[in-house]
Amino acid sequence: MNFSHRKVSRRRLLKALGAGAGSLAIARFAAARPWLGQEPASPQHMPDFTGPGANPYWSSVGPFVTEPQKAPLILLTDRPVQLETPRHYFLQAFTPNDAFYVRWHLETLPNSVDLKEWRLRIEGNVEKPLTLSFPELLKQFAPASVSAVNQCSGNSRSRLQPRVAGGQWGNGAMGCALWSGVKLREILEAARVKKGSLQVQFEGLDRGKGPEGYGSNRFMKSLDLSNPVLDEVILAHSMNSEPLPMLNGFPLRVIVPGYFATYWMKSLASIRVLDKEDDNFWMKTAYRIPDTPDGSTTPEEVKAGKVKQIPIARMPVRSFLISPDGSSKIPAGLPVQLRGMAFSGHGGIRSVEVSDNGGSSWRAARLGEGHGPYSFRTWDSPWTPVRPGTHEIAVRATDEEGNTQPEGSVWNPGGYLWNAIERQKIIVGSNA
Amino acid sequence: MRHARISAALPKFFAAVVTLLLAASAALYAEFNAGFYSEERMGSIRQTLPAVQSSGVTYDAGAFPLFPPSLPAGTGRDEVKAFCNTCHSPRYITMQPFLPPEVWAAEVNKMIKTYGASIPDDSTERIIHYLETNFSTGTRKQ
Repeated sequence: MNFSHRKVSRRRLLKALGAGAGSLAIARFAAARPWLGQEPASPQHMPDFTGPGANPYWSSVGPFVTEPQKAPLILLTDRPVQLETPRHYFLQAFTPNDAFYVRWHLETLPNSVDLKEWRLRIEGNVEKPLTLSFPELLKQFAPASVSAVNQCSGNSRSRLQPRVAGGQWGNGAMGCALWSGVKLREILEAARVKKGSLQVQFEGLDRGKGPEGYGSNRFMKSLDLSNPVLDEVILAHSMNSEPLPMLNGFPLRVIVPGYFATYWMKSLASIRVLDKEDDNFWMKTAYRIPDTPDGSTTPEEVKAGKVKQIPIARMPVRSFLISPDGSSKIPAGLPVQLRGMAFSGHGGIRSVEVSDNGGSSWRAARLGEGHGPYSFRTWDSPWTPVRPGTHEIAVRATDEEGNTQPEGSVWNPGGYLWNAIERQKIIVGSNA
Repeated sequence: MRHARISAALPKFFAAVVTLLLAASAALYAEFNAGFYSEERMGSIRQTLPAVQSSGVTYDAGAFPLFPPSLPAGTGRDEVKAFCNTCHSPRYITMQPFLPPEVWAAEVNKMIKTYGASIPDDSTERIIHYLETNFSTGTRKQ
């Protein structure tokens, strides 16, 4: 029953009362009973999949599931495990360990680790190969920490048009944590990298069922030794001052601040110094983006074989409205707080702007406490909607390098780098 | 005398009528709608019992649970279960959006050529047929 109908009923009833026609009023009351007894709509499930249009929801549409050491998260796949973090966890700058998203590539991932047997091996093109136990790692190297965002390269893949095959993530394949461990540079210095070395390769404990020599057998990622990001790489044994959950890479994980998560090797076991460029599947074929300014191309150009591709690297600037999330109608005139967070792989967040008219005009949001250039930066902005109806809140961030989120969408065959301005429809209701 | 008694009772009568009307209008203009529960089965998640830990050197998270989706019956389903299942669960299929038939063929060929899946030719054809028939634009059911 809508508001205008009720208003008419009231006017009619007042008229009836004014005339002293009590019996008429009672008759009206009886007639109104079916309305009073009208059942509200039953809850409905999310669809099992979306498409061919863009996924219209903030998150992916899978069911909630519980995995070991995890809060209920959104299931993408169960073997290997891929889980998405629900939206509300992003109201805070640090994502709890049990809510942190999960993404594995290979089927055989560790269920348990024996720390008496576990060793970190530094091998390849080094003068002094090292085999470090967990206590040696803790004792022999200086502690180091960094707050940094870990985001899957394919986060928000379900937004792309046309849709591409792959993990159909909503926006929740990201998280921010305080990572503590030791510096990669110190370990490489201890192993004494030989002259003429080109790259450093990481591999974890996970293995696949595919044949040897294929990407379905082993997952390895490499970074150039000349890349300045190596000075900031940490091998983390702690996440938010707790051990890493098994699904997030216990006992040791590579942290590459500002870079997409594909380089953040989980359950790290081997560090190999290479004297030539890594040509394994996960570097040569997978996780590559078009060599264009925004990493975007078209299906036609891909088909024509015109697209030069390079390994994915730093994360473009993004921002999100987390609350209100559109699930509740807001009474007109009620002051609410728009809240969310922003981040960039190109230095910290300089500003966040919000629009309550779909992007026609923008105003600056207030930034929350900073936790370093690689962290989530929370923001808020007061909003008192006046007009009943549908409002579109848009949010855009600018990073310290001056990059602002684009209006337009990104498309590439891998479904990477999505960072378009996010929009949220919010219904405002009449209040009288 | 009787007339006077009726006159005295009249205000009480009107008061009763007004009270009744007020009650009726209060019910009609209820501030909220309450008391409805749905029979719709939305599912629920049982809490996981914390794993039993020892103080030894082994750090154990336990087994990772499977959540098998139902795959529609049809030609090729057995081959999908036999071959695709080697490296990943069928959730990798059911999670996808509508994909055009040629994209499914490309995906299966990618599994063979790029990932080294060892699938006989006739089984490959049946797998592609199954995916195109059940998971493409226009063929897929919720």
